[in-house]
Amino acid sequence: MEYFQENIHLGEVLVQLIAFLIVFAVLKKFAWKPLLAIIRSRRERFESEWGGIEKTKQEVAALQKDYQAHLQKIEEEARAKMQEAIQEGRRLAREIQEKARLESQTSFEKAKAAIELEVQKARLTLRQEIADLSIRVAEKILAEKMDGSQQEKKALEILGELEKKL
Amino acid sequence: MNMTEQQVTTAVQAAAQVQEHVTEELPNFITILEHFFPKSHFVRFLFSWENVLFSFLILGFIAIRSISAARKKEFLPKGLQNRWELVFEGLAEFVTGILGPRGMEHVPFLGTMFLYILLQNWLGLIPLMKSPTSAWSTTIAFALITTIYVQWVGIKEHGFVNYAKHLAGNPVGILGLALFPLMLVINLSIEFFAVPLSLSLRLFANVSSEDKLLYKFAELNAMYYWLPFLFQLFANVLVILFSFIQAFVFLLLSTVYISLIMPHEHDEDHVAAPEQSSSPVHSPPT
Repeated sequence: MEYFQENIHLGEVLVQLIAFLIVFAVLKKFAWKPLLAIIRSRRERFESEWGGIEKTKQEVAALQKDYQAHLQKIEEEARAKMQEAIQEGRRLAREIQEKARLESQTSFEKAKAAIELEVQKARLTLRQEIADLSIRVAEKILAEKMDGSQQEKKALEILGELEKKL
Repeated sequence: MNMTEQQVTTAVQAAAQVQEHVTEELPNFITILEHFFPKSHFVRFLFSWENVLFSFLILGFIAIRSISAARKKEFLPKGLQNRWELVFEGLAEFVTGILGPRGMEHVPFLGTMFLYILLQNWLGLIPLMKSPTSAWSTTIAFALITTIYVQWVGIKEHGFVNYAKHLAGNPVGILGLALFPLMLVINLSIEFFAVPLSLSLRLFANVSSEDKLLYKFAELNAMYYWLPFLFQLFANVLVILFSFIQAFVFLLLSTVYISLIMPHEHDEDHVAAPEQSSSPVHSPPT
C-alpha cells in the first residue's frame, strides 16, 4: 500500500487527465480533422485525375489504332493501284504488239498484191509485145518471100534484133 | 514522545526512499535546480510537479507543431506539413487496418495518445530532461482516459441498455440470471480495474526501468572511462527502440479494446451505421 501511496499522486493524475483531454480536443479540431481532410481531398483528386489520364491514354491508343488502320488501307490502295497500272501497261504493250503485227501483215499483203499486179501488168505488156513482134516478124517474112536465101537471112536478122531487144 | 520519534524515523525513511528514488534516474534540470536551491519555494513547486511540467512541454510541442502544420493546407505538402501528414496518415492507416473504415473517428484519440506517449518516452533521452511516463501517476492518467474512452465508445455504439447487458454477461435464461451478479462483478473489475492497471503498470514499469538502465550505464561510464561508453550507446539505442515499442503497444491495446467493444460485422447489418459520412482516408479500390 505504501508503494501505491508513494507512486500515485492524485493531483498529478488529475492534472494530466485534464491536460490531455484539453489538448486532445484542441488537436482533434485543429490538427487531425484538417490534416486528414487534406489527405483525403488529395487522394480523391489524384484518383479522379488518374482516371482522366487513363481515359486519355485509351483515347490515344484508339486514335493510334485508327491511324494505323488508315495507313494500312492507304498502303493497300497504293499497292492495288500500282498493280492495276502494271496490268494496264502490260495490256497496252500487248495491244501495241498485236496492232503492229496486224499492220505488218496488212502491209505485207498489200505489197504482195501490188507485186502480183505488176507481174500481171508486165506479163500483159510482154504478151502484147510478143504479139506485136510476131506480127512484125510475119510482115517482114511476107514482104521478103521471093528471095529464099534472103528470107533466111532476114529471119535471122530479125531474130538477132529480137534477142537484142530482149 | 515515542510517537514523535516514530514519526521522525518514518519521515527519515521516506526521505531516504525519495532520495534513493531520485538518484535512480539521470538528473534533469529541475532536480539540478532543486539541488542548488533547495529552499526556494518556486523550485520546490517545480520539483513536486516535474512530471506534469515535462508532460506539458511535450503537449505544447505536439499542439504547436501539428496545428501549424495543419494550417498550411497546401496541395503539395513540404517540410513540416509533409512530416505531420506522414505521421497522421500512418496512424490512420494502422487504426483503420484494425477497426475497419469506421475506426476513422477514433484515429484522433488514438493518434494523439500514441504521439504523446512516444514523445514522453523519448524525452528521457535528451540530457536534462525526464520521461514523465516513468512516473506511475502519469501512466495512470492515460490508462484511465483510455478506459473511459473505450467504455464511452461502447455506450455510444450499443446504447446504454445493451451496454449494461453486455457488462452483465448478456444473461439468458435462469442460469444467466443467476450468474448475472458474478458476471457483472467480473466484467466491471476487468474493464475498470484490470485494463487500466495493466496498461498503466506496463508503460510505467518499462519506461522507469529504461531510465534506470540509462542511469546505471551512465554510472558505469563515470566509474570506468571509455569502455562503457559503447555500452551506453547500446543502451540508448535500446531505449529508443523500447520507448517506441511501449508507445506502440499502448496504441495497439487501446485499438484492440475499442475493436472489442465496437459492434461486430454481423451486427452492423441490422443496426444502421450512424456515421457513414465519416468515410475513411482509404477508400476501397474501385
